[in-house]
Amino acid sequence: MDFFSALHISAYGMRAQSGRMRIIAENLANADSVSPSANGDPYRRQIAAMSSTFDRELNANVVELINPIPDQTQFRLQYDPGNPRADTAGYVKLPNVNALVEMMDMRDAQRSYEANIQALEGARSMLVRTIDLLRR
Amino acid sequence: MDIQQIPLFSLLSNRMSWLSARQSVLAENVSNADTPNYIARDLRPLDFANILREQTALRPASTSPNHIAPRSGFAPEQAQGEGGNPTGVVSIEQEMIKLSDTQVRYQTATNLYQKAVAMFRTALGTRSS
Repeated sequence: MDFFSALHISAYGMRAQSGRMRIIAENLANADSVSPSANGDPYRRQIAAMSSTFDRELNANVVELINPIPDQTQFRLQYDPGNPRADTAGYVKLPNVNALVEMMDMRDAQRSYEANIQALEGARSMLVRTIDLLRR
Repeated sequence: MDIQQIPLFSLLSNRMSWLSARQSVLAENVSNADTPNYIARDLRPLDFANILREQTALRPASTSPNHIAPRSGFAPEQAQGEGGNPTGVVSIEQEMIKLSDTQVRYQTATNLYQKAVAMFRTALGTRSS
């Protein structure tokens, strides 16, 4: 039935957006994570990637989160000669996470999640209305 | 007598199934709003000429349960933007407007259905509210 498939499609969308939120939270939490070894790289920012796949059961294109893509931009360098992770010139490599970008991404994810809730509410109210036809 | 043989009821149920199919297409658009290269889709508007064409069109016969059956006759197509141009990317605002439009139309259809049933009740003479 179309209403149930609409509910499932919205649920897929919400699941993808919450997975995106998880990746953003991971980025924000690791905004200052330096490398665990002496000459290694610090935490690399992950970008949430979505892809639409055709679900034969629902007969619709549902959205799914695929493996996150690592951000290839340069790491931040901070001058801190006292730090044990500093290189010979005295610089420490910090993750390429920009808190502002993450915040904007988070807002975007929230709005998309809300849009999915709206679509779900709509399908639900139509379903309830149909069932109400049986009353009286 | 089959209730579907009454033109009003068959029209309303056709309308309602079109609206529910549209609701799921719109839900698909909203959930894929952040998917790269996804193109927004919508159903062809339901009008008399379309219904007539679908009723009289030739369909391939399905002789085995393994054959893929066309779903309810409403095929989604690329959404048309202003001036009849394809919109391409999903616009959340436009999808929200379409969603509320679908709901209002659905409410109209269900209310009409209820009124029609109440009218039949009046004609039958049973006590009803």
